Amino acid sequence: MQNIERYLSTLAVALLAAVSLVGCGSQEQAATKRLVVFSQCNNAEPYRASQNERFQELFSKHPDIKFVISDGQADASKQISQIENAILQKPDVLIVAPLERSALSGVMGEAMAAGIPTICLERDIAEPNYTTFVSCDNVEIGRLAGQFIVDYLTKKNGAAQGVFVEISGMQGVQAAKDRHDGAFEVLQQHPEIKVAHQATGNWFQAEAMARMEEALSANAEIDVVYAHNDPMAYGAYLAAKEQGRHEEIAFVGVDGLPHEGVKYVEDGILAATFEYPLCVDKAVELTVQLLADKEFTPEKTYILESRSILGKAD
Amino acid sequence: MKSFVLRNRTLIQSSAGLLVIFVAAILLSPTDLRTDEVLFLKADNLTNMLRVSAPVAIIALGMTLVILTGGIDLSVGSTLAFCSVVAALGLSEWNLGIFAAILLAILAGGAVGLLNGSLIAWLKVQPFVITLASMIGVRGLTRWLSNNQNIQLRTAGEVAVRFFEFFSQKTVMIGLFVLLAAVFALLLSGTVFGRYVRALGDNAKASVYAGLPIKRVQIAVYTLTGLLAGLAGVLTCARTTTGNPNDGIAAELDVIAVVVIGGTSLAGGRGSIVGTVIGALIIAILVNILGLRNVGANEQLMLKAVIIVVAVVMQHQRTSS
Repeated sequence: MQNIERYLSTLAVALLAAVSLVGCGSQEQAATKRLVVFSQCNNAEPYRASQNERFQELFSKHPDIKFVISDGQADASKQISQIENAILQKPDVLIVAPLERSALSGVMGEAMAAGIPTICLERDIAEPNYTTFVSCDNVEIGRLAGQFIVDYLTKKNGAAQGVFVEISGMQGVQAAKDRHDGAFEVLQQHPEIKVAHQATGNWFQAEAMARMEEALSANAEIDVVYAHNDPMAYGAYLAAKEQGRHEEIAFVGVDGLPHEGVKYVEDGILAATFEYPLCVDKAVELTVQLLADKEFTPEKTYILESRSILGKAD
Repeated sequence: MKSFVLRNRTLIQSSAGLLVIFVAAILLSPTDLRTDEVLFLKADNLTNMLRVSAPVAIIALGMTLVILTGGIDLSVGSTLAFCSVVAALGLSEWNLGIFAAILLAILAGGAVGLLNGSLIAWLKVQPFVITLASMIGVRGLTRWLSNNQNIQLRTAGEVAVRFFEFFSQKTVMIGLFVLLAAVFALLLSGTVFGRYVRALGDNAKASVYAGLPIKRVQIAVYTLTGLLAGLAGVLTCARTTTGNPNDGIAAELDVIAVVVIGGTSLAGGRGSIVGTVIGALIIAILVNILGLRNVGANEQLMLKAVIIVVAVVMQHQRTSS
């Protein structure tokens, strides 16, 4: 029996620790506050961490709104379960950044059926189970990047010609396909641009470095590297720098996060990056409108424009 | 007789832990602003909670047997993804019927388990190493098979829709777990096979001298675990309406945590299915209440760590006293 007592006392201590941790997690909801829940698919990505930060910054200006974020940890089952939890708490607005198009359709339908206005963020779902969808157009971003590369080569080599390397995001992800398609729509109009090497960096800096080393070995001359995100563009730059070949190559990325891509461009590491909007400002604006006016019906879809962030030389 | 008492003492300890967590969850639960109901106790919430824990809990039943033999199976997370992808491909691209697709997926899991068990039994390599290798290899196989794509069932036709609508139901997912828990409890405590499993983990050398069919027992426990991981993959596929090659990453650790919290000793020999069910409930309640209170994912990981350590410390005290 002594053992059981000891067991219970240890449990009690653990529980106390738990309660204190839980306590800082959330406070009792004041009845007058409006509840906005944001289901984020994976906090552990820089783009998504920036979204969270921006949300918190913007909602902190609305003291009447209680804003909470749940993290799906890149697991569809977890995100479904978190949206189920959210539905039980009947938020005034539910914002969802879905991990997968198919997986979340059902549970978002349940949220709609429960009468909760839902905003789909950045990625939509298989069925239109949302009030409104805020997104941006990766094909258009690819086109912008493609045009930048054509202009850069024309300026450097006197005509739209040169050696081109592409480092893609994860295969099978729509964003990677779109960023490729958009760029190649433009590049294919210039047959003098030689596509020397295409590799997959899976969005990771380290993998892009390894792929770039192979590209450098295989090609004595490279003019431009186009990577589907800024970390991979930076990885490619580091690989080239190691061999002293970074001066001759222009590195182009996508995403343009403030303390990542934008900084790389400022530091002269990247020639350009193309902002993939966080979509947060628009989502907050719509949330505030939905809360203020029950009659407000947003558009089904809002597509935000990208912004080019170019180095000083251009 | 003594070991019987010891086993029960572990169960009493686990049950006390479950009770404490349950009461704490009620006290900590937010309430519905309009009706003042305790959200945690709402039927919707309790069934949501059980459904989301079902896949890990189902695999934990098999893992309990594996750990009782003194082994470990690190490949179950990869196997879950593998079988989820097989089921999704079966229902979409291969045009199998529902029954055939499910059978194929579960058998695929069984095949991974059979391979694990055979290599462990015949090559006498440590289970950790063999299943580490298959965890890596099966993940690669899964990504290759799916071509790194998520296989979506929502747009894959009527048969696929019927499949996920049926198997994602709460009664089906929770019911399967309850049924399997009963079967495995009976298997472990009411059959000769169950006694062999315990004997093997309790004292492997003595089991050899006693002429127990060690190889067959080893192959059986890994195969059973593979089959259960296959079923968990099918259920995950139905629940997410997607065959995702990246599902179940680190799920093996959640499964092992459930078994350990349930009082099964990693040294083998001691533990029970009832304990594992209790372990699964403890983790389920913990995750649910933290979710309802919107505690961050990072803090949740730290709390899980505390719970695991507390459970193992208790085991240690038990065995050393």
